[in-house]
Amino acid sequence: MKDIVISNKRIKREIWVFILCFVAAFGLNIYSIVKYKTEWSELIGQLPIVLLLAVVIYLLAGLLRWAVFGIVRLIQKK
Amino acid sequence: MENNLKNRREFLKEMSVFAGATTFLASIPWMKAFAGSDGSAMAPSDRVRIGVVGVGDRGRALLMNMQQIENVEIIAVCDNYEPNYKRAIELTAGKAKAFYDHREMLEMKDLDGVIVATPLHEHAHVVVDFLKAGIHVFCEKSMARTLEDSKWMVDVQKETGKILQIGHQRLFNPVYLNALDRVRAGEIGQITQVRAYWHRNSNWRRAVPSPELERKINWRLYTEYSAGLMTELASHQVQVANWFLDKIPTRVMGSGSICYWNDGREVYDHVALVYDYDNGVKCLYDSMIANKHYGLEEQIQGDKGTIEPEINRIYSENPPAAPGIRQLLHSIEKGIFETIPIGGASWVPETAVPYRGQIIAPYDNNDTFLQLVGYVQAIRNGKPWKNLLREGYHATVAALLGLQAMDTNQILEWPAEYVMEKDL
Repeated sequence: MKDIVISNKRIKREIWVFILCFVAAFGLNIYSIVKYKTEWSELIGQLPIVLLLAVVIYLLAGLLRWAVFGIVRLIQKK
Repeated sequence: MENNLKNRREFLKEMSVFAGATTFLASIPWMKAFAGSDGSAMAPSDRVRIGVVGVGDRGRALLMNMQQIENVEIIAVCDNYEPNYKRAIELTAGKAKAFYDHREMLEMKDLDGVIVATPLHEHAHVVVDFLKAGIHVFCEKSMARTLEDSKWMVDVQKETGKILQIGHQRLFNPVYLNALDRVRAGEIGQITQVRAYWHRNSNWRRAVPSPELERKINWRLYTEYSAGLMTELASHQVQVANWFLDKIPTRVMGSGSICYWNDGREVYDHVALVYDYDNGVKCLYDSMIANKHYGLEEQIQGDKGTIEPEINRIYSENPPAAPGIRQLLHSIEKGIFETIPIGGASWVPETAVPYRGQIIAPYDNNDTFLQLVGYVQAIRNGKPWKNLLREGYHATVAALLGLQAMDTNQILEWPAEYVMEKDL
């Protein structure tokens, strides 16, 4: 069986992508607190939801990146 | 047992906490003595000697709860049904004197109090015999089969000054006490309605070893001995309504029928009643034994909230909003998946908002035990709790009046002679 090698560079990039997703989710939480005039304590209290949202955004971003990568590869082959 | 002892400790601790709240004391005066402000007729170390008359299912439960209370001794048991008589002897490990007739117990010199858990129609004369003999009485609810008998019991209690406590255990339940405190503090606003129900799905029959024992064992099903759902179930819940409203109804109307269990029983298997109070508030009550989906509840409904003490929940009319992030996600989800009706219904059904509310009081209790602790404490004090009998009396009158209203198909006013004034 062939080993899958994930380079250090790739890992670092994925961590950065996830941090960006988390920042986006956190930003959405701030936006919703302001929009719906709820408690600022939700910044901490709703962290599990924010984390879950970050994972969802990361997965969606992954799908998008995979699609973009595929299209670019197809164009390059032609 | 450990759990019961823990409950008792917590109960007494809570009572002392409650005793600090003036408004609370004003509404539930019998709690005051638990703070230790009352004089004692007996030293705490003195044993309270109890007899139990009627050791059927409920009598047995009361006896076993009583056995868990410190410094209480069951010294006599009585039942005229042989299997119950034998069981009572077993439960007390042969230490209690056993009788077939309660009148023989009256001669016991060392009896401090009795528990009466006989069939309903026997309550009155048994209770009166003990009160007149100078023995305190705890009588299982309801008080009696008739209004006249209930009044007779109250009159004799007043004459003798002995304790007559009726088994309405919710009066000692910390969840109810806390709920009442919150109602008095205005948390649910003005009470506008009490909706109470008790639904079961069973024939309510007990196994009968031989046909001639049918009426003796299944006494709840025959009008000579019982008012059926009214005295067995409704009295508990109408008591709660009266207690929370701090009023008695002015009139009652209702309808009863045998709609499912056509098995020779005489009492209704389905009842629906409206109790009116002088401030316009109503208690809507229904009980049936052919569907148990909704179980039992007393819904105390106010303009600012609702209390459901049976499931230990309090709800605000304006539930707290969901966290912002959830509202945002819900709004996004709605935007993506919700269809836009074109020419559809312009009316949205006003179904209840799914909202779990909050716990009234974190307490896992056995209120049957707690009420017996209260009874023993009253014996130690040597006098009844103020206004406690009034609650049981009015609950019984309400239940029996309700039955009368259904039987006669009339709207009945609460008769003035059955009002027991509050002892201030």
